[in-house]
Amino acid sequence: MNTERPVFDNKMLDTRRNFFGKTATGIGGAALSTLLDRDLIGAEEKDGDIPKPNGTMKEYHTPPKAKRVIYMFQSGAPSQQDLFDHKPKLQEHFGEDMRDHFEMTQRLTGMTANQKAFPLAGTKYKFEKHGEAGIEISELLPNISGIADEMCLIRSMHTEAINHDPAITFFQTGHQLAGRPSMGSWLNYGLGSMTDDLPSFIAMVSRGTGRPNCQPLYDRLWGSGFLPTQHAGVKFMSVGDPVLYLNNPDGFDATARRRMLDDLEKMNAKKLEEFGDPEINTRIQQYEMAFRMQTSVPELTDFSDEPQHILDMYGPDVMNRGSYAYNCLLARRMAERDVRFIQLYHMGWDQHFSLPTQLSGQCRDTDQASAALVKDLKQRGMLDDTLIVWGGEFGRTSYCQGKLTKENYGRDHHPRCFSLWMTGAGIKRGHVHGATDDFSYNITEDPVHVHDLHATMLHLLGIDHEKLSYRFQGRYFRLTDVHGHLVKGIMS
Amino acid sequence: MIRSIPVKTFPRHSFFFGIFAILLLSLESKGADSKLDFTQDIRPILSDKCFFCHGPDEHERGADLRLDNAKDAFADLGGYAAIVAGKPLESELILRILDEDDPMPPEKSHKTLKSEEVELLTRWIVEGAEYSEPWAYVQPKKNSIPKVGDQKWPVNWIDRFVLSRLESESLQPSLDADPVTLIRRLHFDLTGLPPTPEEADAFVDGKTDFDTVVDDLLASPHFGERMAMYWLDLVRYADTVGYHGDQDHNISPYRDYVIRSFNENMPFDQFTIEQIAGDLLPNSGKWQKVASGYNRLLQTSHEGGIQKKEYNAIYAADRVRNVSAVWMGATVGCAQCHDHKYDPYTIKDHYAMAAFFADIHDDGYSGNTLPANRQPEMLFLTDEQEAELAKIEAEIEPLFDKATQKSLEKLDVEKAKLVASSKVGKGNKKAIQNKISEVDRRIASIAPAEERQAWAQLHSKRKAIQKEGRLTMITAAKPPREMRVLPRGNWQDNTGDIVNADVPGFLGSIPVDSRTPTRLDLAEWLTNGETGVGEMTARVFANRFWYLFFGTGISRSLDDFGGQGVPPENPELLDNLAVHFYESGWDVKAMVRFLVTSRAYRQSSITPPELKERDPHNQLVARQSRYRLPAEAIRDNALAVSGLLVDQQGGTSAKPYQPIGYFRHLNFPVRTYKAHKNQDQWRRGVYVHWQRMFLHPMMKAMDAPSREECTAQRPRSNTPNAALVLLNDPTFLEAARVFAIRVLAEGGDSIDSRLNFAFREALSRLPDPEERTVMTSLLKATRADYENNPNSAASLLENGMAPTPMEVDPIDLASWTAITRALLNLNETVTRN
Repeated sequence: MNTERPVFDNKMLDTRRNFFGKTATGIGGAALSTLLDRDLIGAEEKDGDIPKPNGTMKEYHTPPKAKRVIYMFQSGAPSQQDLFDHKPKLQEHFGEDMRDHFEMTQRLTGMTANQKAFPLAGTKYKFEKHGEAGIEISELLPNISGIADEMCLIRSMHTEAINHDPAITFFQTGHQLAGRPSMGSWLNYGLGSMTDDLPSFIAMVSRGTGRPNCQPLYDRLWGSGFLPTQHAGVKFMSVGDPVLYLNNPDGFDATARRRMLDDLEKMNAKKLEEFGDPEINTRIQQYEMAFRMQTSVPELTDFSDEPQHILDMYGPDVMNRGSYAYNCLLARRMAERDVRFIQLYHMGWDQHFSLPTQLSGQCRDTDQASAALVKDLKQRGMLDDTLIVWGGEFGRTSYCQGKLTKENYGRDHHPRCFSLWMTGAGIKRGHVHGATDDFSYNITEDPVHVHDLHATMLHLLGIDHEKLSYRFQGRYFRLTDVHGHLVKGIMS
Repeated sequence: MIRSIPVKTFPRHSFFFGIFAILLLSLESKGADSKLDFTQDIRPILSDKCFFCHGPDEHERGADLRLDNAKDAFADLGGYAAIVAGKPLESELILRILDEDDPMPPEKSHKTLKSEEVELLTRWIVEGAEYSEPWAYVQPKKNSIPKVGDQKWPVNWIDRFVLSRLESESLQPSLDADPVTLIRRLHFDLTGLPPTPEEADAFVDGKTDFDTVVDDLLASPHFGERMAMYWLDLVRYADTVGYHGDQDHNISPYRDYVIRSFNENMPFDQFTIEQIAGDLLPNSGKWQKVASGYNRLLQTSHEGGIQKKEYNAIYAADRVRNVSAVWMGATVGCAQCHDHKYDPYTIKDHYAMAAFFADIHDDGYSGNTLPANRQPEMLFLTDEQEAELAKIEAEIEPLFDKATQKSLEKLDVEKAKLVASSKVGKGNKKAIQNKISEVDRRIASIAPAEERQAWAQLHSKRKAIQKEGRLTMITAAKPPREMRVLPRGNWQDNTGDIVNADVPGFLGSIPVDSRTPTRLDLAEWLTNGETGVGEMTARVFANRFWYLFFGTGISRSLDDFGGQGVPPENPELLDNLAVHFYESGWDVKAMVRFLVTSRAYRQSSITPPELKERDPHNQLVARQSRYRLPAEAIRDNALAVSGLLVDQQGGTSAKPYQPIGYFRHLNFPVRTYKAHKNQDQWRRGVYVHWQRMFLHPMMKAMDAPSREECTAQRPRSNTPNAALVLLNDPTFLEAARVFAIRVLAEGGDSIDSRLNFAFREALSRLPDPEERTVMTSLLKATRADYENNPNSAASLLENGMAPTPMEVDPIDLASWTAITRALLNLNETVTRN
């Protein structure tokens, strides 16, 4: 074999040194990242406290109120009748058939479509008015009740799907079927990133204790759909490395890693010099970013610098990795580190049977930590630029699924009305939006569709939902498809 | 945009300046050397900015005006017309664009025309506003091969088309790539695997010539695996159902079919027909039935509570999306709710296409079983297993007549049951023993001992083989469901017309007399040029072959040949390739050979900045493309270089190491991932278990799609996640360790000779002096560390299940693993240059 590789490739590129001079400034130094879509120059320019976007958008469409989002998704669909939407009539008519009161026109799932009777199930829980606003909330949520004056409770949410997979996919991507980008990835694409050290969109999942056999969750909920792959959310794992493959193998410490990366960079840089392929430069920078994440992620997940009273706020589970409380505290730490979209999922809210037992477990998991997160952000002055959402993918039926007793009942899926609360940036505080009828069957005031919620969230982030689009297979797609209206009534 | 049109700031809010600009332009255009082309220059603008309201969809149509065809655009609208040829200032189109009070496109459309786009429209009207048919709906035709100045460069006629275009742009093709780059390019492109050092040397030293290498690679069984990587993306092949519980389903024999078909060079029309309608072919055999599994590849939901009718509608639409995307490069799926906004597909066309598949009943979906309940399925045996079975049958046959065999089989089953129950201690032991003896007596009574023993042996062999068989989903036609147009795509709306199976109206029809067309008719229509759209299908695939070997399509929109797609930059070349493919009798290997033996293919991929700027997407082909290898090839390369790669073709899916807890949030049922602990661990990426909802993180980090929908072109990202995978995924750690074992065993005794060995294996070349220095210093520093801390060395080597030979010194091995890891992480290693 020839001992020397033919080099005539190089001769073609007589301007390569020029090229190199322009693009290679980042090597070994500050690292850019396509994952984060970070434009260092753009990020220096600030619009008030909120940095200018550095994604596909270079300017906001509308002045942003929110710098970041924390979405506490309650997967499985929490029961509005037992938590946020008190219906004394259901108790009054306990056990009577729903069809005796009105004609049921809704779609029924295959689980109760063939049920012989539809007995009304009033909640077994007490409701009380809370805060100056006097918002009625269930006794199952004492801590969330305590932040009534911070929240905007929407009792008039509605959606289209009646089964979990399409409904949750709809909430996260604006479409019931697989293939569209998730909300967080739209933000990554549109607004870019505010941090060099962490992913801009992070998802975390916790399992409920109320219903261990809970509805599954899937990659596509934080996926990038047809958007370029780098916009996908990074899921933090609750076992093993928090970020997949983050840690060095045993027997290979940080010094060894640094040394290897330095040499790898030298070899890659040499090829960059020879061939001027900008992808090589990007690759060098991605290795740097990976290296930095090895420091920034452990620092992020190390709670040892949190004082005891903060840990106590979030409750006894806070130190259990993978618990909802742990994820809530981690969410606050991510917010402080400029992660833009923090998506929590808590599983187990699907109470078809044994609702009282299951629901109290779910509330125990989430009540204290959800409220703590809001209060914690507030005391740090971060509630004003953090948009917070708490809710599930649809509502539950007022009729009982299975056998009804005073002490035990279950509820099937109900997409026509359900409750969800928000707080933080640009959101009215101590406010109730919308209402449902006496049977929590239909909305009577101010319906809010999922598309409307999305449009409003984007608006608060400085995005016109009709303008942020991506051309795929010849069509311009949006998070809100061809729908969505701003919900003015919830904005401050 | 390759033609350079000077950008001016166009004062769109000033009518006066608008007119001024136009007048200027019409003067300029007289001097323009070439006339604008409707397909290339105008249609994309009109389609993107105007057709939404002024296109084929009558429900959205504004002002009763269509701009997508000449007749309507020129029509008299009561004293004025949208377009008056030659007279932009009398054309309502231009006047409205420039109208500052009420401009087009309207504000609410969020679409704006760039000044250069307005200029182009104006110039086009000045030049006579000639319309032409949308390029993708015109039958491809053979163009004469262009004359070129440089007679020496072209090898085949592809090169003449390429060169002619370059010469018209005053550009030159790049030099040929160096032989190392070329041999690596060929191997990765045709087999997805790197060349061995011997193969690389033979080529570099001129001992093998280019054409022979190509022939050898096309004949390699790895060719089929490489092509399957792409095909499986198109047809959205996966091992799981995709929705809700994402349970496994039985389909791996379909993958074997795809690989085998490419390896056997099955004509592409037959390949198409067998997949869409293999079950309907007369004398449909085993492989045709396996192929018909294509119709079952879609995502299905087994969620409790789903409404069957809703999912029937979802599945119908899914099949239309896929069949039209794969074979027609069309987005017929967009006509699910309304007429297509940009192309002539009507909502009726959509449901008429869905009706072809209405004979597939997706029944028996209830229950969250693992694997999912997805009848119909069949038991699949490989050809080898079948041959062995036939041999056994031949030996059994002379032993007993059929009836006796039947009885023996029955008794055999009976006895097996009794033995099983006696083992678990169920029932009265003695009674069972008596029953067993009774069965034995009955067996003895119908067959003499010697033959019986021979039979029993053969029979158990037979059963063992049958047990090795795999189930696979197939298509089995049933009476078709009624298919209605669903207004607004609403499956609960029963008011739409009933439609029969049919192809999109504007593309013709299927001559069937009075019978209802079937999937077989559809498949034949797709591939037959006389009665159907065969050459158009050939064009879709010619474009994709080009993408596979040049890194980008001649039309960049591989899955959309419609109005919103990107017209081909070299349409004559694309047409000629299409006709060539069709006329060859759909000979895939010949097509691939033709592409890779062109001179254009051999060009260097080095891209001078000015060329990158002028032609960022490499549409002119003044160079080759360079890009990161596809996910599967990155895996395969590491395994091949380390020597771990297992060559087994076909079979069940392989489960590589995967991070703990990765399937944690799957349910119905709860899943625990069990990585393979046998040879399956090291099989090629194309065989890796494809979990739609949680695709293996290595594959995902390298842009492999979830295969929910047809993917004609994968994104090519470059992320920290990908870096972390190459650094720390146990598969790559193990590959680095085993590679280092080879370096120590086969690379001689000196650092230099070992580096030579490692570089040749990983990069098909020797290190240059600088690389040698860097690697030597890395090795020495690493070794010094491990000598101070031997425990670290030992723990670094504890990965994967491939053994480390006893005699290897851990410190040696750990130090060299740093080198092999670095090599496997090099940009050059994972790049197709």
